Amino acid sequence: MITKHITEVTTRFNPFKKPSKTCRVFLAHLPANARTMMKINTTVLTRDSQEPSFLKLKFKDGKEMQLDTEKLKINDVVEEVDRHSRTLNRKADLEGN
Amino acid sequence: MPPRLRLCTQCLHRLHNKRTSLPKYLSTASAITPAPPIHQTISSPPPLARFPPTQPPSHKPPEFRKSQLHRQYTSLLRSTPLLLLFQHNNLKATEWMSIRRELHSALQKTDETLSTDLAPGIKVQAIQAGIFESALLVTEYYHPSQQLNPTASTPHPTDPSIQSSATVANTTPNPADPTLTHSLSTHAHTLVAPHKKSHPLRTLLSGPLAILSFPTVSPQHMRAALSILSPKAPTFAAPTRRANPGYHDASVQAGLQKLLLLGARVEGRVFDTEGTRWVGGIEGGLDGLRGQLVQMLGSVGAGVTGALESVGRTLWVTVEGRRGMLEEEGRGKAGDGKEDS
Repeated sequence: MITKHITEVTTRFNPFKKPSKTCRVFLAHLPANARTMMKINTTVLTRDSQEPSFLKLKFKDGKEMQLDTEKLKINDVVEEVDRHSRTLNRKADLEGN
Repeated sequence: MPPRLRLCTQCLHRLHNKRTSLPKYLSTASAITPAPPIHQTISSPPPLARFPPTQPPSHKPPEFRKSQLHRQYTSLLRSTPLLLLFQHNNLKATEWMSIRRELHSALQKTDETLSTDLAPGIKVQAIQAGIFESALLVTEYYHPSQQLNPTASTPHPTDPSIQSSATVANTTPNPADPTLTHSLSTHAHTLVAPHKKSHPLRTLLSGPLAILSFPTVSPQHMRAALSILSPKAPTFAAPTRRANPGYHDASVQAGLQKLLLLGARVEGRVFDTEGTRWVGGIEGGLDGLRGQLVQMLGSVGAGVTGALESVGRTLWVTVEGRRGMLEEEGRGKAGDGKEDS
């Protein structure tokens, strides 16, 4: 997963529900020095809370991405993130940075 | 008739002497050959197992790392009543090291105040979630002592239906043998399989996980550990920079940001983060809890006696009041009578 264009990650999940796996594995996909490069807000819900889990990303170009982790698996999330990150990569390449 | 073998008198004498000098036990040994005990004539002892008793055949090959981890986790789960589950997101080795150092020092401080010796037994370790799940199921749902436990078969020695070449249970290294009841056996595996989807901790056991295991349920130690690993004011406030400068090192802080408390397993029960903090926040530990219980029960007792007493007391008050009234009336009537006369 290309993480260098992400500036902020906000996630909320109830670990006792199955869809939380996507959020948790996404957090595990971030590199070891991710906290120095981006802002990460994680909220762990209580066991009996019914709030749906979500994952919100912000990119360097200002794009915000809200991902419905109740439906998406980790592979789908990675695909979504990479699709935008690749365009940012291409843009950076064309600018010659 | 003279002896056929002609011996000189000296030799004969020597031979005779030798025979008499034979020890007693040798001469009588054949006379008291013990008869086999009756139970041995009816049933033969079970044949020798073809594997060492400490290494029974397992469902998966024992030389695999998986099997050994499974053994390790089952023994850990059986010996630890209190377990905290964390998610670790790409912690570096130096960060783990510094977190362990801080945790150990905090626990040792708690040990000193409580005069206990639990700090060496409280450990953080990263686990393999899948194997841990299997081990958890085996420890919770598989109780070999409660189930029918067939012992090694004892064939009748004279039973014609049993061939001498027949294989007998417990002799071949077959993991499906029903006599094997250890936690790595096929028996345990099949018995536990139906519970696979119903365990409450199941959803937590995915992704990178670490556990903090305690040898006993000690809320004070748990509080000390939580205030280091997952600080949250006011009950689990992190140590101040002045009190513990090592805690505010960059490596410790960077590591703690990536450590996420998910839940706990306390004496077989599963708690979420709030529940975990509640257990850790019990004032005065288990003794404090017992004290609270005694106080509560005492106050209930006092309340009950008060309630039961109050009925009698009100009755007494009413009756007393009525008597006073009657006495006054009687006095008044007597006074009236005097006035009349």
